[in-house]
Amino acid sequence: MSIAAAVLEAVRAESVLHGGAHVSCAGLRIGELSGVEPESLRFCLETLVTGDPLDPLAFDLEIRPWTRRCRDCGAEFRVVDYNPACALCRSANTEAAGGDEMELSYLELEEPGCASPLNEKS
Amino acid sequence: MRVPLERKVLNENDRVAAGLRERFARNRTFCLNLISSPGSGKTALLERTLEGFRPARRIAVLTGDIQTDNDARRLARYGFPVRQITTGGACHLDARMVERGLEGWPEDCEILFLENVGNLVCPTSYDLGESARAVVLSVTEGEDKPLKYPATFHHADLMVLNKIDLLPYVPFQAPLACENARRVQPEIEIVEVSCTTGQGLDQWRAWLEAHL
Repeated sequence: MSIAAAVLEAVRAESVLHGGAHVSCAGLRIGELSGVEPESLRFCLETLVTGDPLDPLAFDLEIRPWTRRCRDCGAEFRVVDYNPACALCRSANTEAAGGDEMELSYLELEEPGCASPLNEKS
Repeated sequence: MRVPLERKVLNENDRVAAGLRERFARNRTFCLNLISSPGSGKTALLERTLEGFRPARRIAVLTGDIQTDNDARRLARYGFPVRQITTGGACHLDARMVERGLEGWPEDCEILFLENVGNLVCPTSYDLGESARAVVLSVTEGEDKPLKYPATFHHADLMVLNKIDLLPYVPFQAPLACENARRVQPEIEIVEVSCTTGQGLDQWRAWLEAHL
């Protein structure tokens, strides 16, 4: 819930930076290793935004995979079944690469003066 | 109109955490964030740890709980500065709580322990400015905890396998738990301890001292 509150805070701050335009959709990038369960986050976001000045606001959640990088062949690969070995050359010499993301990736702003309908997105 | 951004959701927490990290580095404080499920033995581990330090050592503890100051009272008996952070509902510590918890304390601490709220999920997302992160797993839990909570183990530098005196009485397979932790975090270090018998505590202390 506090992460959802931080998301709304970030949307508010970015909206102010963009001249206070109404935000119709917030894009979020959530990594598999971020410690956030996307559906729980969506539930908390939708609960918090109801009745908020940001309402109506849709959320577009993009799940980012858990990836590692091979120190031998340089490949970046997705970790499947918790296997940290390189998916290309099988080397065990790999390091963490991605999956930690918890970011606001974009905002969909309504043009000033544009009588936009309510959001329909996801 | 779509505006692309690269804004971290917890950037305010990260900003405060970066300030804390800089402060710990400046004062040569080793700050350890202790994370585990409720009941894995974080407080017992800290009790045995504090008990083993000479009184002249500069050690301090911030301990987080949703309610009560029971843990702070348990830990205060050893003569080192201890403060309770009562989160009043929040299931994790955040950097701001740590910053407030440290107010008025001398900055020249050697080791600062941050005992997080018992929870294997949410504390993972909050950087507290710590120098290292340890996750405590006890043998009365499942060997697959590292696989069920990969984010937590993936971000840990050390796994403390606790309550090993109970191994003869439970079906827990310690080698499997260690293997699972290494699958999720190949670089994780592991110490096996019992806070009841004291077994393994020397290794745990050696790990701490090696980071000073």
